[in-house]
Amino acid sequence: MKLLGKICAALMVIAIPAAPAFAQDNAIELSGDVMAVKSSTDAAGNETTELVEPTVIVPGDRLIFGTDYTNSSDETVTNFVVTNPLPSAVALAVDADPALIVSVDGGQNWGVLSALTVSSEDGASRSAQHADVTHVRWTLASVAPGESGRLEYPAIIR
Amino acid sequence: MNTQNLIRPALANSLGSALAVSLFAVVAVTPAKAAGVDAGTLIENTATATYVDGTGPQTVDSNTVSVRVDELLDVTVTSLDAGPIGTATGDEVLTFEITNQGNGPEAFELTAEPAVAGNDFDTTVDGIAVDTNGNGTYDPGVDQILTAPETTAVLDADETLTVFVLVTVPASATDTQESDVELTVEAVTGTGAPGTSFAGQGVSGGDAIVGTTGADATATGSLLVGITTVDLVKSVTIVDPFGGTSAVPGSVVTFTISAEVVGSGSVDNLIVTDAFPADTTYVAGTLTLAGGALTDASGDDAGEATATGISVDLGTVAGGTTQAITFDVTID
Repeated sequence: MKLLGKICAALMVIAIPAAPAFAQDNAIELSGDVMAVKSSTDAAGNETTELVEPTVIVPGDRLIFGTDYTNSSDETVTNFVVTNPLPSAVALAVDADPALIVSVDGGQNWGVLSALTVSSEDGASRSAQHADVTHVRWTLASVAPGESGRLEYPAIIR
Repeated sequence: MNTQNLIRPALANSLGSALAVSLFAVVAVTPAKAAGVDAGTLIENTATATYVDGTGPQTVDSNTVSVRVDELLDVTVTSLDAGPIGTATGDEVLTFEITNQGNGPEAFELTAEPAVAGNDFDTTVDGIAVDTNGNGTYDPGVDQILTAPETTAVLDADETLTVFVLVTVPASATDTQESDVELTVEAVTGTGAPGTSFAGQGVSGGDAIVGTTGADATATGSLLVGITTVDLVKSVTIVDPFGGTSAVPGSVVTFTISAEVVGSGSVDNLIVTDAFPADTTYVAGTLTLAGGALTDASGDDAGEATATGISVDLGTVAGGTTQAITFDVTID
């Protein structure tokens, strides 16, 4: 059984690097990560925040979801759009960039949050709130060869 | 063997994403909970890029990052009694409601403390019972009395539980004395300063973290002793046929019964009765209560007069009030 386990583990290790090998066919590579924001107050009363690995998280904690993109090809790509559905267990943080393009209806309609509305079951309409956001989206006209960047959004665990 | 091993990661991945989808669907339709998303919930994030390169439109997904929500330990307890419970000596019941404010299932240990600073007297705690039948009222023999250490069943996130603290008010307690009983509720996993972590003791092997309540809570129930007594004082005035006050045949004797209720509580079903003295005859229609006439008939008002005596039903009478009943007889 131990030998079998080792074989299995070895195959798993091999299998993981194999996935990006297929992705090299794409001009763009995306790499996602998530960090937790922990704030602490020192003896002088100054509040500092730091990004830490999200090993322990509970409702109310703040997470930063990031996506690094790289154009690893030798040609410029155009109409570069990165779409990120929000996990339903989190809400967009209220201090997110107000210019961020978002959707509050599962990706059907897009705009800045202040321009969007939500219709309730009784047909009434109200201004969209951060907690209503279902997707965030970034659009770049073009990404040059070798260009890379990072896209982030802050979220609070519901 | 090798074939099985090779397909296993792919199978695991598809199961994982199917699970994630169903979890999120559940969260979406469930009303927002006070405590937030359930402990153990997986938060998975994937970004997708679309772009146009030399060969046309392309789509690429990022890797999926996944974090699991840990268990938050939080609890509150409140007294369900509207105010101090009016009591006499003997058995009394204090009612409390416990709410699991955390985001995962948790049991709670209960401690009832009868010795509270400022008490005029201390009660004896006889036990803590759970409102087994959920009717909000302690039912002896039905509602389960917890055995030491008094610990509730596991409560789901946001679940509430009504418990009863059973106490005895000592015979030494006197009227208007007050006594508090404190019920302390502590998460079984542990308590401490907010942020205290119990590694591996949360849902699904995750961590359990003490929330803002410290994972413990205390509420106070109060008792107010109302021992009420009734004093009856009977007095008499006589008017004889000659304008004097002698007790001779034909004299009219007016009896006044003063019913004084003393104490901070009240008495229920207070009925004052008096028999006519021998060798006297009741003067029909002379029964009064607090200056108002009562009929001799039964059932139409608080009083009645029979062939042998009078009876006045005062009902519930608060402490500190006095009511006078009068009636006349003539000496035969």
